[in-house]
Amino acid sequence: MAGQDEYDHLYKIILVGDATVGKTHLLSRYIKGTLPKAPTATIGVEFATRTVPLAVGGTVKAQIWDTAGQERYRAITSAHYRRAVGALLVYDVTKAQTFQNCTKWLEDLRNNAEPDIVVMVVGNKVDLVEKDPSLRQVPFEQAQAWAQSKSLMFYESSAVTSFNVKHIFEDLLQEIYTQRTKVKSDRYNDNSTQGGMQLRHNPPQRQAGCCT
Amino acid sequence: MWSDPSAGRSASLAAPPSSSAQAASGPTPGTSDPGPSSSSSSGPPKKPLVKLQRFGACFAKEAVDLNELRELLWSGVPDEADPSVRAKAWQLMLGYLPVHVERQVTGLSKKRREYRELVKDYFERSPEMRSDNENQILRQIRVDIPRTNPGFKFFGDAVMHGIMERTLFIWALRNPASGYVQGINDLITPFLVVFLASYLNKRDEDLHELEISEVPSEVLEHIEADAYWCLSKMLADIQDHYTFGQPGIQRMVLRLKEIVKRIDEALYDHLTNNGLEFLQFSFRWMNCFLMREFPMRCVIRLWDTYIAEQASGFSNFHVYVCAVFLVYWAPQLKMMDFQQMMLFMQKFPTEQWRPQQIETLLAEAYVLKSLFHSSPKHLS
Repeated sequence: MAGQDEYDHLYKIILVGDATVGKTHLLSRYIKGTLPKAPTATIGVEFATRTVPLAVGGTVKAQIWDTAGQERYRAITSAHYRRAVGALLVYDVTKAQTFQNCTKWLEDLRNNAEPDIVVMVVGNKVDLVEKDPSLRQVPFEQAQAWAQSKSLMFYESSAVTSFNVKHIFEDLLQEIYTQRTKVKSDRYNDNSTQGGMQLRHNPPQRQAGCCT
Repeated sequence: MWSDPSAGRSASLAAPPSSSAQAASGPTPGTSDPGPSSSSSSGPPKKPLVKLQRFGACFAKEAVDLNELRELLWSGVPDEADPSVRAKAWQLMLGYLPVHVERQVTGLSKKRREYRELVKDYFERSPEMRSDNENQILRQIRVDIPRTNPGFKFFGDAVMHGIMERTLFIWALRNPASGYVQGINDLITPFLVVFLASYLNKRDEDLHELEISEVPSEVLEHIEADAYWCLSKMLADIQDHYTFGQPGIQRMVLRLKEIVKRIDEALYDHLTNNGLEFLQFSFRWMNCFLMREFPMRCVIRLWDTYIAEQASGFSNFHVYVCAVFLVYWAPQLKMMDFQQMMLFMQKFPTEQWRPQQIETLLAEAYVLKSLFHSSPKHLS
């Protein structure tokens, strides 16, 4: 099982966000290429891994932790954030409340994960608004502006059509690598640079229509 | 003596179910004693019959003796029993069905009337009257119900969804400190299966293909009310499992860790040295009582004992069962690294498990509990 499993970096990634925004679906689509056969509400955490060649920086093994989204579980869920270097903060583009709650989730991440955690905001379920645009409750620009103001990465996605699924995971992994090597070389060149590096740019947005 | 964690412990747990037969009699002295009382010469095959007679005799009394019923139910309702036996035993032990036989009919119809009132008060109000919070609860319940799938076709039926929606919503509103917590949708399913089996006079294993449209609506109404009240009784003893911060569950996870450390230190060290935290794998065990780990037939057998244990079944005793369950897999786990263990524990190879294997766990858990109780200082 573990034999051919060689990698240069091991990154712990967490999936957070309100209940039923599609965290487990995104993970299943990315890891298995399919949606869960018998979907159930996630209780506690679920774990998956995938080894990915980065565009730059070698091979990374992503340990991905899918968490329960319901409010009642938050106190306990945050215990799973420790040592996470990346997070997908997922909301549902058809439910404004799930986007508003991203502020709270971000706070939880800042309080419990690594200080320099790289966060990718993900507006999921765009397949629904492609079918019926009136279902959209969170405009693309609004979410993008919010992510930018917090120096977070941002994508919209659909676990159902696979749209951007690969990108949200792999751009996040690449960015973690970039940040971490940057921090290292900054430290090497200038000892005054501390952790808590933030993203200064956003990844290119892939608009609806370009499926992976 | 128990303070010496022994490798032999896990070996004994891995033994085939049949070897635990005499251990299983621990909690119920006399009940599973292989039958000098059953005048027959061929012992074991007659055992279930003797037990069935004892259930029958227990129910036939003017007032059911709950201590006697507790002993019987603890070691499980035999496969051969009429499907109504389990439903009745659960309802009696949970304090839902009155122990006095002459009050049972009126008692039940009173509770079912009360439930209909609750439905009117809480559920059938016009939607505009609902608060934001109530709407949010209802939305979450509606999302979770269709993905409650304990392996029975009828849980996909709209009529069954209606039953679950009403019971879960009313329970949540009447228990605001916890409200609806994901996983409680799982917990109502054993009641629905057992009570349906009882009404339809079928084994729960024969309900997999049942069409709800075949079930008379009056029966469905009764089942709904009975399941609501029994779920309420069960959850009343474990309220702090689902309140803010879930202190009850945190306590159980911590205790599990202590117990495992004591009974199989090598396994404990292996888990912790690999960076595995108990919360990572056992939170779900506590939150859903291993329902996600076992097929329904096993869950039902587990609940025979938990319900018989009354207040401690779904809390204290469950932790011992979890400890035994974890140690059962020690030989495999000890060969695995962090990742392999996490993936293994997410999907234990238990799909083919039979209730007999649950009985092994229960028997071991009972022994463990007795040992810890006779030397409580070991945990302090």
